[in-house]
Amino acid sequence: MTLLDVTLQIFRYKPGEQPHYDTFTVQVEDTAHVIDAIDKVWAEHDHTLTFRRACHHSSCGSCALRINGVEKLPCIARFSEVWDGHSPLRLDPLRNFPIVSDLVVDVSGFFQRMSASTMTITRDAESTLPLSVDDLAAVVQPKAVELPDNLTRFNRFENCIECGICMSACPTMAVDNKFMGPAGLAAIYRACQKTDDPNEKAHLLALANGEHGVWRCHSAFECTEACPQAVDPAGKIMALRREITANRFKKTRRS
Amino acid sequence: MSAPRVIVIGAGSTGAATAHDLALRGLRVTVIERGEVASGTTGRNHCLLHSGGRYCITDQESAIECIDENMNLRKIMPDLLELNDGLFVAVTEADLAFKEQFLEGCAACHIPARNIPVKHALEMEPFLNPRTLAAVQVPDGVFEPFRFCLAFLATARLHGAVVRRYNVVSEIVCSGKSVTGVKVKDYRTGKIETLGADLVVNASGPWAGDIAEMAGVKVPVQPTAGVMVTLDCRLNNMVLNRLNKPSDGDIVVPQRATCTIGTTSWKVEDPDLITIPPEHVAKMIDQGEQLLPVVRKIPMRARMAVARPLIVKNAADERNVSRTFECFDHAYDGIDGFVTISGGKTTTARAMAQHVSDMVCNKLGIAAECRTREVPLASYRLFYQGGQR
Amino acid sequence: MANLEYPKVRRAGRWFDVRRRKLGMWAYALNRITGIGLVVYLYLHLAVLSLLLRGPRSWDSFVSLARAPYFLALDVILLAGILIHGLNGLRVTLTGFDVGVKAQKALFGALMLVAVVALGVAALMIFGG
Repeated sequence: MTLLDVTLQIFRYKPGEQPHYDTFTVQVEDTAHVIDAIDKVWAEHDHTLTFRRACHHSSCGSCALRINGVEKLPCIARFSEVWDGHSPLRLDPLRNFPIVSDLVVDVSGFFQRMSASTMTITRDAESTLPLSVDDLAAVVQPKAVELPDNLTRFNRFENCIECGICMSACPTMAVDNKFMGPAGLAAIYRACQKTDDPNEKAHLLALANGEHGVWRCHSAFECTEACPQAVDPAGKIMALRREITANRFKKTRRS
Repeated sequence: MSAPRVIVIGAGSTGAATAHDLALRGLRVTVIERGEVASGTTGRNHCLLHSGGRYCITDQESAIECIDENMNLRKIMPDLLELNDGLFVAVTEADLAFKEQFLEGCAACHIPARNIPVKHALEMEPFLNPRTLAAVQVPDGVFEPFRFCLAFLATARLHGAVVRRYNVVSEIVCSGKSVTGVKVKDYRTGKIETLGADLVVNASGPWAGDIAEMAGVKVPVQPTAGVMVTLDCRLNNMVLNRLNKPSDGDIVVPQRATCTIGTTSWKVEDPDLITIPPEHVAKMIDQGEQLLPVVRKIPMRARMAVARPLIVKNAADERNVSRTFECFDHAYDGIDGFVTISGGKTTTARAMAQHVSDMVCNKLGIAAECRTREVPLASYRLFYQGGQR
Repeated sequence: MANLEYPKVRRAGRWFDVRRRKLGMWAYALNRITGIGLVVYLYLHLAVLSLLLRGPRSWDSFVSLARAPYFLALDVILLAGILIHGLNGLRVTLTGFDVGVKAQKALFGALMLVAVVALGVAALMIFGG
């Protein structure tokens, strides 16, 4: 186990003060993740450093931030992947969110959009295992699963962990305050897929079709690239557009 | 006469459930949390909604608490759970010999347990060790601890509770032998404030000892760390447990598109500075391999370690310490207006909250029934509503 | 608890920052830049055409200007803008209705290759003829 001396350049902001960067050096194992270093900075250097985290295994979505300008989850970002070995590692909060303090952003607007989508966080599980969001992990052949006698289906949590990374990467979010965003629209798509109620579906499609819905997307595809959970929000936005357009055609043909 | 004010220190599962219970009983609750919700022990837990099977022989009190709370959580937070049951799996002769005891233990603790034909177990879990000798199905489940806490706190906020994240308790304010409030520093603004309260609840997990010391009392909480390893693939739909007495790395909890092998156990001095021992990580893979041989081929996604708050009354082995919880009314230590709730597990958070809330209401002379068994939780997304706090 | 004031963040220019962004973002930024460029060109073009109103002499003097090599180079740049914007625009239209979304990067590559080839041929024709 090798130890690394890592220098972190962390964005600092407290209300009423000028934003600036503070530099800290901590020692971590070479197998450590970036969150471990942030934790150490807090514990060993500065208790006033505020940051979000909870699960440390890409399930809660709370720790999302930018590492050297690129959105990532520090809990699964290994130093060997993101650090060149000598330059300071820059940590910034997510873009397109109001900054509360240091790396903590205001996610109330984000969760309002997710609420509006009505997407529940559980879904039916696939009929084969293994499941993965990472292509590299698919080193085993998929195998079919049988259900236990007492269950009608297996269920699991949706891929989306509501981390906000896609919202930070999206150029439209940067210019439109009210845009539903890739996460919101992807959630609408999932909610549509999971409902049998035609009224519910119509309501959701109307929301997607609205002034700050799917048509604001300009196909940068950055959301899909940045998503750590293979949600593919861009694909879902395009699928929603197709459905909305197809419905329009059906209506005009019928009338 | 307005309702009494209670301050709850800690927004992990204990603090969150306690704030929820007290707020439902009409008290004015303020939660003080030095980080994000569930940023302490609760966030990094194994996410296992225990059926209690694990404790049905060595710790029957815990086991019964678990199965009761498991069934109740399914009613109050149905959308926040993966409900695929679990299997206790025997892969050695020693495991197999344990099966009879195990089934008896489950029956004694009213845990519904069914002996499953091995062939069927292998069909349900195709990556299960093909040398499996026996499998027993139990109602294990999986939760997501951050949203678990957010849901309790969101409901508490709807009933008037205030949650102050990034606020640290720097002092417990006393007037004579009575706690009258806390001094907090807001890490976001640097502001220091004194908050008055009629009672302070210490729900700070492994930091309970530090907080209690601020009031000049001791609690027998031993921070005990454990390592967990999350893999890049979900290899099992159901929770997989080793059919034997509790040991290191004997559970693989699936979640979303991953699975997590856990856990280990060692005493730590400072829950804020835990180094992950590489031999523990290696052990998780070794143990996980016994249940899911293909584990070694799967890249690791994450590793985490955090300290559990174990209540250790005497010098005994951590593994054999009861995982049940305990409330400490510090009036017995000569300090009034201050209680500590510690130990336990996230699965039993609601029950822990009930006990400490009963104690709080007793001390404050409030006659209010606990309603947390029945009241469904509000959407976790509502926690952040109304701006930052 | 007092309202926290958030720092002012420059928003409108954010789309422009393509550092460390992936291919789709580059395509998006390129489309915007060429789009703005083409709009600016359109106004210039109309202004130039209005010279026609001033009779043959002003028009002829413009045409001799338009034959100078540096002007032809500007024509090639204009054509580049048209090709990039037009061909990428095809990609945006297709993917925008859920066609070829999974292949959006390959599509960009292929269409830009067409653009480069067409531009090369056109440049030869412009400077040759």
